[in-house]
Amino acid sequence: MSSTFQRLQAQVETPVNDHYTVQLRSVCKVYPQTRFSLLDINLTLRQGDFLFVTGASGAGKTTLMKLIYGAERADRGEVRVAGTNVGLLKGNRLSHLRRKLGVVFQDYKLIPRWTVSENVAFVLRSQGVPKAEIERRLQPTLKLVGLQKRADCFPSQLSGGEQQRASIARAIVGSPKLLLADEPTGNLDQDNALQVLEILKKLNSLGITVVITTHDMGLIQTVKAPVAQLDSGRLQVVPAEQVL
Amino acid sequence: MPSPRFQVPERLKLVSTKLSYLLQETLRGLRRGGWMNWAAISTVTVLLFLLGVSLQTSWQVSGVLNRLGSRFEVAVYLQPETSGQEFQSQIAQFPDVSSIEVIPKEQAWQDLLADLGTTDIVGATEGLGENPLVDALKIQAKSAVAVPSLARQIARLRGVENVQYLDEALKHLTQLNRGFSQISLGIIALLTLTAIAVITTTIRLIVVARNQEIEVMKLVGATTSWIYLPFILQGITFGLVGALISWGLIVVTRQFIQAAFAQQPSFLRALGEGLQLTPWQTMVLPLILVGFGSIVGIIGSLFAVRRFASK
Repeated sequence: MSSTFQRLQAQVETPVNDHYTVQLRSVCKVYPQTRFSLLDINLTLRQGDFLFVTGASGAGKTTLMKLIYGAERADRGEVRVAGTNVGLLKGNRLSHLRRKLGVVFQDYKLIPRWTVSENVAFVLRSQGVPKAEIERRLQPTLKLVGLQKRADCFPSQLSGGEQQRASIARAIVGSPKLLLADEPTGNLDQDNALQVLEILKKLNSLGITVVITTHDMGLIQTVKAPVAQLDSGRLQVVPAEQVL
Repeated sequence: MPSPRFQVPERLKLVSTKLSYLLQETLRGLRRGGWMNWAAISTVTVLLFLLGVSLQTSWQVSGVLNRLGSRFEVAVYLQPETSGQEFQSQIAQFPDVSSIEVIPKEQAWQDLLADLGTTDIVGATEGLGENPLVDALKIQAKSAVAVPSLARQIARLRGVENVQYLDEALKHLTQLNRGFSQISLGIIALLTLTAIAVITTTIRLIVVARNQEIEVMKLVGATTSWIYLPFILQGITFGLVGALISWGLIVVTRQFIQAAFAQQPSFLRALGEGLQLTPWQTMVLPLILVGFGSIVGIIGSLFAVRRFASK
């Protein structure tokens, strides 16, 4: 994880390269009405990297994530995911890019009327994956997040931690190479937050690139990973050693 | 050696997966629609019923007009002592005549009595003393334009009592039919707009109710067509169900009217037979209803999802 930091330090000189999982070059995003902005953001992540993004509320953490998964477009600069310029993608091409990444939200975004299995399987159904293949992938995914025995429960029957784990299962069932977790522990107590973090670390050890936004410094200190801090619209990288 | 097992082709599997997904999602949407489904279906039903009835009526009116006589036909009634056979060769020399049919007064008398529902021909004739009718000729002109001048020429011949042709009567009936069609067209256009508006509102409400699912679908990489095609199918379902119900209503109404005519005297019964559709019309009517219903459903649902899909 410390090698990530060295690359992050040299990111401005990094040429555009399809090899990187995520590459932001001189990205600006300004909201004139709220005077909120992201200014000249540069960030490069390789396959298998783990990065925390931190900053005060309203600093632009969620916007940064949205720029990566194409829910927002940069006013200036370039956002590349797996070599593709996200800002240029529309319609089906953006949909196909999103299949390569998983997103986890603070509020889980689970469908209340569906069981855990249905919520997780929904991703694959939405992508037109055959039923047999969905069945084959479902159990290992639920096992990975420790919810194999809660598969038939509805979200309202689960604790916050379990709901977030279900949301992680949904994000990874499509075997993404990149996982974006936007404040995944924001609504959880310390124990559940650590549990969720453990799962994200486990996924990272399997080769998935993980980006987590959080304002919980306690959480950051439990993992030896570089931290990108958003402050006044700018991204400043802190090495893992200094965080600890 | 083990026998090779039958393998379902991958392409076929993919198509069946997609179809079953689309059907499931369409049904899910319909369940979510609740009573709004019926608002949409009943509007479409009223629209298609009116469309079907007006189409059917215009076909029926044409049918009745054809039974009353062709626009090309001139009926010639001779004086009592004149024989139709004598006139046949004389009239055949007119250049505008296409064919001539002689109707002897005996046959005309039998046909009239049959139309009036009388079977005792001898008794009826004796009651009047003699057959009161005259020989007649049914002349087919080569064109409708030639009919009035041909009628005038024939009327001048000695022995001709009366010449009739249906041109004027047909003109009035055709005008009446056209007027009815135009009013129907106006109402149908208005109802089409209403049906599209109701379908749009219904589907838009369902889309809003499923907003959370749609948001998640977008985030996990479902394509726009994958997300919104079930809603279009829902619109088509409204059209199809409306078409089936309206077709059923039209068939029942038609049979009811025909049954009512069947119990009337021969003349009205003949008119009732004129209301019958040809096999081709019977087949085409439901197809038109299904086609029009589907188009209205597609337009309504496209309006409903267009705004959401372009987000």
